[in-house]
Amino acid sequence: MKYAFFVGCTVLSRLPGYEKSARKVAEKLGVELVDMPGSSCCGTTYMETLDRKTALALAARNIAIAEEMGLDIVTVCNGCTENLTKTNKALKEDPALRAEVNEILRETGKQFKGTVEVKHYVRMLKEDVGLDKVKAASVKPFKELKVGAHYGCHLLKPSDEMLFEDPNDPKVLDDLIRATGAESVDYPGKTECCAGPVMGIREKVTWNVGMDKVQTVKKYADAMATCCPFCYITYERCQFMTETNPNLPVVHIPQLLGLAMGLTADEVGLSTNKVDASALLAKQEA
Amino acid sequence: MAQSEIRITNEGKEFRNEVMATHGADKLMHCYQCGTCTSDCPVAKRVPEFRPRNIARLAIYGQKDRLLDGDLVWLCAGCYTCYERCPQKVHVSEIVSALRQLALREGKIHPTIKSIVTTIPKHGYISEIGEFENEMRADDGLPPAPTPATEEIKAIVKKTGILGRVGGA
Ligand code: SF4
Ligand code: SF4
Repeated sequence: MKYAFFVGCTVLSRLPGYEKSARKVAEKLGVELVDMPGSSCCGTTYMETLDRKTALALAARNIAIAEEMGLDIVTVCNGCTENLTKTNKALKEDPALRAEVNEILRETGKQFKGTVEVKHYVRMLKEDVGLDKVKAASVKPFKELKVGAHYGCHLLKPSDEMLFEDPNDPKVLDDLIRATGAESVDYPGKTECCAGPVMGIREKVTWNVGMDKVQTVKKYADAMATCCPFCYITYERCQFMTETNPNLPVVHIPQLLGLAMGLTADEVGLSTNKVDASALLAKQEA
Repeated sequence: MAQSEIRITNEGKEFRNEVMATHGADKLMHCYQCGTCTSDCPVAKRVPEFRPRNIARLAIYGQKDRLLDGDLVWLCAGCYTCYERCPQKVHVSEIVSALRQLALREGKIHPTIKSIVTTIPKHGYISEIGEFENEMRADDGLPPAPTPATEEIKAIVKKTGILGRVGGA
């Protein structure tokens, strides 16, 4: 199995632990992730709401790079997944729109052809690698570890575009957490948004939304697991914005998977997590 | 004041039509003000003045200034909860997108968004990933970030004219 690896701005520049663990876990599972030369910001969220054509063209240009590589795209960001998936779908289905976007792209020398698929990393694990294989690779499973999954929005929504799991009852993260031997807990508000995009508008709103969830999860679990850089940053940083830091470890899902697969704390970049997550190591079978 | 007493001016009508002409916002008039969007919105839970149902109502009545002044339309987190749950498929998230585009046209872009959007053609990413960042990446055992072809990105934004409209060109 081989994919074009679209890491995305935020993970590339701010979350080495996520990227490192995603790469190592893929390696463990025999999945080859190939970097995409010349790739850039996908245009999600900010450009997307401001100017659809520019966002489509930015996404299409990145997709065209993967097309030249002859590989489907795997991303580790919900935002990138959403924008690339929506663009891919819109341009495959609407020849007039595709022609318009390709005209915008003309000077770049790249053209959208519609020959590849886009998947989030966790979807790739579930649909292409298979949960059984992930489970079988977990040679150092967790024991008596409770984890609260946070899905975020754009892995699943808009559901008529993403065509993945039910946004009101998603499964993939719970399944992956269970594959590590940990217990995936249910908690109120599990599918609620982190409000990360509001951070740059009214920071306090994001911290309040974040803390509500962190405090809820803390009642039910030892740690929280995410699959999106923005959600991760929100839930980690909000804890430092109050005097009573709840110190709930927040981990990227491949960090959890990697540890269960016998990777070291260093190999999954655990020291880059700002809330100390080393307690997780004590919950593994020897 | 009862909702029915609000009158729409010609100017308001024109504005409403512009909203509805934007991608994904064409079902605005299907809104029957049930309030599902407001009750499920994560931002509305914390920000009293942010009410998706009210945004739909103001758009129906073409209340341009009330919608575009201040940071109202920039407060949406884009979570698509309203998109998923609206019984009428009005998609307030898309109405908000339309309003942002119209705000941009009026020169009312939020400064944070402006700075992000103008960074993309400069650095290829939403923040700079240069030599320093790549050294940090190397320390973490990661390969250098792909060098984004900024010339190509500049060609794209030049063609769509977005930077001129944002005021960053
Ligand atoms: S949920 Fe839909 S119909 Fe109900 S108030 Fe909101 S936009 Fe209008
Ligand atoms: S998309 Fe925006 S308006 Fe709709 S529920 Fe989410 S934050 Fe609220």
